[in-house]
Amino acid sequence: MGRMYLRSFFVGLFVFLLLAFPVTGQQTKPIEGIRENTPRVHALINARIVTAPGQIIEKGTVVIRDGVIVQAGANVEPPADARIWDYAGKTIYPGFIEPYFQPAQPRKGPQQRPTPSGSFSGSRQRETMPQSIGPAHWNPRVHPERTALKTYKPDEKQLKTYHRLGFTTALLVPQKGIFRGSSALIHLKKGELNAITIQKDVAQHLTFERGGFRSRTYPGSLMGAIALIRQTFLDARWYRDAWNAYRLQPHGQEPPEVNLALEALQPVIGQQQPVVFAVENERDFLRAHKIFKEFHLKGWIKGSGYEYRLLTAIRDTRLPVILPVNYPQKLKLDTPEDALNVSLQELQHWEAAPDNARWLAEAGLPIAFTTHELKKTDQFWENVRLSVKRGLSPEIALAALTTQAARILGVEDRLGSVASGKLANLVITDGDIFDQETQILDVWIAGERIEVQEQPPVDPRGIWEAHFNLPDGTRITGELEIKGKLNRLQGKLTVQDQTIRLDRVYLEFQRLGLVFKGDSLGYAGFLRLSASLLPGKFSGKGELPDGQPFTWEAQYLKPVPEKPKKSKKPTLMEQPAQLPPFPPGAYGRKSLPEQPEYILVKNATIWTSGPQGILENADMLIKRGKIVKLGQNLSAPEDAVVIDATGKHVTPGLIDAHSHSGIDGGVNEATQAVTAEVRIQDVINSHHIAFYRELAGGLTMSNLLHGSANPIGGQNAVVKLRWGAPPDEFLYRPAPPGIKFALGENVKQSNWGDQFTTRYPQTRMGVEQIIRDRFQAALDYKKQWEQYRKLPKKIRRRTIPPRRDLELETLLEILEGKRWIHSHSYRQDEILMLIRVAEEFGFTIGVFQHVLEGYKIAEAIQAHGAGASTFSDWWAYKFEVYDAIPYNGALMHDVGVVVSYNSDSNELARRLNTEAAKAVKYGGLSPEEALKLVTINPARQLKVDHRVGSLEPGKDADFVIWSGNPLSTYTICEQTWIEGRKYFDREEDLQMRKMVEKERARLIQKYLAVQKEKKKKGMPDKPNPSGRPGYRPHE
Amino acid sequence: MRLTHTFLAVLFTWVGFVSAIVASDQIPAPPQTRPIALIGGTIHTLSGATIEDGILLFENGKITAIGQNVTLPDNTRKIDIRGKHVYPALISANTVIGLTEINAVRATRDFAEVGQINPNVRAEVAINPDSEIIPVTRANGIALALSVPIGGLIAGTSALIMLDGWTWEEMTLKAPVGLHIRWPRMQIVESRYYIRRRSPEEQKKEIEKSLKRIRQAFADARAYWKAKQAEARKGIPYHATDARWEAMIPVLKGDVPVFVHADDILQIQSAIEWATMEKVRLVIVGGYDSWRVADVLREKDIPVIIGGVHRLPFRRWEPYDTPFTLAKKLYDAGVKFCIATGGGPFGAAHERNLPYHAATAAAYGLPREEALKAVTLYPAEILGVADRVGSLEVGKDATLIVTNGDPLEITTRIEMEFIQGREIDLSSRHTQLYTKYKQKYIQKGLLPAEE
Repeated sequence: MGRMYLRSFFVGLFVFLLLAFPVTGQQTKPIEGIRENTPRVHALINARIVTAPGQIIEKGTVVIRDGVIVQAGANVEPPADARIWDYAGKTIYPGFIEPYFQPAQPRKGPQQRPTPSGSFSGSRQRETMPQSIGPAHWNPRVHPERTALKTYKPDEKQLKTYHRLGFTTALLVPQKGIFRGSSALIHLKKGELNAITIQKDVAQHLTFERGGFRSRTYPGSLMGAIALIRQTFLDARWYRDAWNAYRLQPHGQEPPEVNLALEALQPVIGQQQPVVFAVENERDFLRAHKIFKEFHLKGWIKGSGYEYRLLTAIRDTRLPVILPVNYPQKLKLDTPEDALNVSLQELQHWEAAPDNARWLAEAGLPIAFTTHELKKTDQFWENVRLSVKRGLSPEIALAALTTQAARILGVEDRLGSVASGKLANLVITDGDIFDQETQILDVWIAGERIEVQEQPPVDPRGIWEAHFNLPDGTRITGELEIKGKLNRLQGKLTVQDQTIRLDRVYLEFQRLGLVFKGDSLGYAGFLRLSASLLPGKFSGKGELPDGQPFTWEAQYLKPVPEKPKKSKKPTLMEQPAQLPPFPPGAYGRKSLPEQPEYILVKNATIWTSGPQGILENADMLIKRGKIVKLGQNLSAPEDAVVIDATGKHVTPGLIDAHSHSGIDGGVNEATQAVTAEVRIQDVINSHHIAFYRELAGGLTMSNLLHGSANPIGGQNAVVKLRWGAPPDEFLYRPAPPGIKFALGENVKQSNWGDQFTTRYPQTRMGVEQIIRDRFQAALDYKKQWEQYRKLPKKIRRRTIPPRRDLELETLLEILEGKRWIHSHSYRQDEILMLIRVAEEFGFTIGVFQHVLEGYKIAEAIQAHGAGASTFSDWWAYKFEVYDAIPYNGALMHDVGVVVSYNSDSNELARRLNTEAAKAVKYGGLSPEEALKLVTINPARQLKVDHRVGSLEPGKDADFVIWSGNPLSTYTICEQTWIEGRKYFDREEDLQMRKMVEKERARLIQKYLAVQKEKKKKGMPDKPNPSGRPGYRPHE
Repeated sequence: MRLTHTFLAVLFTWVGFVSAIVASDQIPAPPQTRPIALIGGTIHTLSGATIEDGILLFENGKITAIGQNVTLPDNTRKIDIRGKHVYPALISANTVIGLTEINAVRATRDFAEVGQINPNVRAEVAINPDSEIIPVTRANGIALALSVPIGGLIAGTSALIMLDGWTWEEMTLKAPVGLHIRWPRMQIVESRYYIRRRSPEEQKKEIEKSLKRIRQAFADARAYWKAKQAEARKGIPYHATDARWEAMIPVLKGDVPVFVHADDILQIQSAIEWATMEKVRLVIVGGYDSWRVADVLREKDIPVIIGGVHRLPFRRWEPYDTPFTLAKKLYDAGVKFCIATGGGPFGAAHERNLPYHAATAAAYGLPREEALKAVTLYPAEILGVADRVGSLEVGKDATLIVTNGDPLEITTRIEMEFIQGREIDLSSRHTQLYTKYKQKYIQKGLLPAEE
């Protein structure tokens, strides 16, 4: 309390001093011509002042002096030197803040589209990346040293648009790139940048921007973008340490590199400058948050509007969010056929988008609104007001434009409220800002009034007493009523109980013009009148139909009475939506499936894939997600969930050792030959429908792998298909880390097209060399660190340290036996090559993937101790698989290799059980052994066989109930359980389908009803104002 | 008597085994020279009753008798198949077999001619009889494949080939089977992920343009036909030949149906409307959404070649088994259908899995007998060869398989196969490499030596 008091005392003192010693108008630029010194002192009087959300002065005055508010309150006497602005009946709000402002695109010159945050072009065209100049970062998307101010030019048309919405201040954000540069807080007005800039370098702006698969510039994938961000922050730390060391000891050392980008990041890693991450969906939000945590950054998120889809996880980040309000408007639902191609996700988003802000606010996250991503900026208020009608508190909504926005941007001492000492940025309205009808009349920016609604010096609207002095000497008195918009006035004249509608009423250059028919007054034809306007009265001339002149004048009586507002029933669109289930769209859940304390599966044929073999007519007891016992006639506690599986078969949950399901933003980081630093775990898309469909085929675990575009690809992620859980809970942590390698045609770009002939390697010889070279690099890296760490502390402080390298650290883990290679491979020569390289470097390869010529070299694979995960019967799709045979798996198995069958396909992953049956057909494995190819064997390959892969006491209760023999093509999966939770049930699925149909029908009906309602209200049916027509972000 | 049969069976198996190791390639079977009787097995005729412990006799490539009491000519080769099953050989109704070898190797791709309008190209003339894909496919009981050109809008005519023979001429059972049109994709995609992608308006124009080109081709072909017919009359000049329109005359006459490749409901509706206007015989290939217009298909008697059961639902919200249940839905609605694979260049090498597509349809509700017919009798009917193949009937080709069980089960073995009575070598590049590399491990003592 004391501090607060002291603080306001000092502010008051400062403002007082300011008054005493004006120091305004300082500018360094020489003045040409005559100086302009119009006083900048204003008093805005008689207004209703909303000084801050929820704080209202019903009638008060705001005094502005030299761009700063010096007084605001109910009993404020306007200073003697102030210009008086009578805002009676009007409302003053703090000026609104646009926290994510992108300048208008130059209308001429090269076509540049505004970049959606984090957008990427999936096109095959080669991108043209602007080359950075000077000692820049090597990657053209990393230019934190840029500042948005450098290229900004106020654009009159754009400014007008923003003024119409009440925005007075904006955070000008840089465009393009991953590290885009610094933003600046500016006044939204014309003028020299020197004067309109409030604060430069407000924040550093990041996105997950990337190219596509065929892009040549790293990164081409989301995981690549994440890796690049992480490496860049590490580099920034190194840069700091390297220069610190060098400054201590410049003598005898070569200086570290000079890098403007890394230099620009110093305030960021030092927490002096916040970071803003612009994300394009709710999963990217969490990804950005992880980077915040890892590098101890402060800042906020520029959200996507989809946050509600991962509300709990996003709530827990506690990060402030800038929200776009680009709610979807138009869906193509007119015919039943059209509607088929609109997913339930899209329908739900159409309904739910306006509630996103409310749900986030209720979750306690600070929010601010941006116009960014609105195709038509004009849509802004309509959408924000809709959110308020849906139940977003008006205080929070207003704060999102004022106080909260200022707080997020760290300028609450200068902006966000109408208070003494704040910058004089205000909005003047004719009513409550959240009212549909309310108009913004003026904005005040830096103490300057900018007219939004043209106000004539004298307003002709109102009820007037008019006197007409006719040529015959008679004087008629009547009542003249003028109303409507200034550019579309209308009116009527009432004389002697007769009301004449005016045919034309218009205002031009302070002259009023009227035309009406005089028949009822006894003058057949049109009367034309004009008048000059003065405050409270007009006087002018007229002409009768026959051309005789007369004069007239009028006195102001009163304003036109407003029609009492009907309390409107909320429209359909204004009714709040229910939070959709997770994952959004079809087959989502309200919550994760229950885990019963005990489960007893009874009377099944149980394929244990373990030492107990196949048990006929057997039971399985499960406690809290773990298998307790298998055998006949087992008993369970009374409250156990008992499943009668008579006639059914039970197997372990199937495991896919090679999958690319549910990977966001690209499966390959194909821009470089070596990308060990990228991680699939960063980009799991937990609501990809593939996972649900795979559960429906008995799959419980997948090895999500990077693609095969590179000799050394990215890090894998072993997941359990916990449909309904957020991405991180898919990750199966007991699985040791792995990495994708690839050999042969893909990595030498044989089938990429003729333009891909220059990346190293282009031959299998080169593949060996690049792998070897990188392993050697990892060893050299290790040596470097060892030597550095051995230095005496005093010397070490003064020695430039080695740089942390995420790629080499990953490779080192392989050499140290902590990370397992999954190597895409086909031909026997390359398989043997990698085995020999591994042996030379002293480690063991985890799994050869595909390994379609593994049957030619099985003894070497077996002797080395690697697993082999293959297709059952794929072949002939490219030259290196011309010798692939379906006997491959069986033959390798017979020679003693641990073999699994994988899918590499979202479709095939749904029926791995019958893939296993092919090992019976081709090569004669026993059914029991064949099933192991998709249960315990992949578990062994992923080194998780101590937890999963077979039905044995102590293991996870991941199991499948089948309608019959799992190897039969006629069998279907009935239930899939993970750790004692039922994630798939055919019966439930049949019910959910009905719900999906019902929900679709409901939403389609609602959509159509809303369209009709809009039409009735005469609202223009704007096509796709969201800027995201038919946008399907997740499919 | 029984002893002789057993001896012959053993002899056959042994011969087959030897040929599998010594042959560098599979040798096309010689014509049937004497009657062959399959004795004692279960005969699944598919068009009629299933006969237990029956005899199936065929001579000169044709089935001459089926029953439990069949008089065998003197020189009949008798094969004891007690405990085994006889089925008509399977027919793959949507493949590019013979037109491709290794999809990634451009030199081996012969299925897509340049340009949009190619009604005159004929699949049969480009079939490579020595394709390694052929023995691999037939080893799984598929004896007939419709080889389909797939380039452009009007891609060319397909040919039904037998998967054994010295030349494409010998192999061709019927050609042309159909004129193949790949219906333009009609769904307008609006996605911001493709910034440079064409706008909805541009896409609409593109679709219109494609549809127009198809209509135009048919209108031009009709004009050509009319002019050619008029030539005979006095005073009408000779019209130079146009290979494209010449090739379309059988289609206009109604002798050759049009096979429209269409999956989305918009495409199917559009194709039906078009075919009705053009008065051509229509077959839908693919047909993912065909169940949604089942009533129209039944009413107009338009058959559907299901283009793969093993595929993913097109739409996120659709039930996971939507492609699995398509056959059942068409069956329930009384639409004529058969089951094929998705075809295409990648599919050719995996055509052998056709029976399992049918099995999945059965797993999800189609009666098993129907599933079998969907890959035998029904494709024969839709491809217009039901008088020759597709079921076991007297007078039809002896194109059949002998198995140890249900051919739709993966674990079932195909033990013998006959194409027009010729006994087919069931070895392939795959069995050869298998045998070769087994030897490697036997040599190294890692596998026990075989008897």
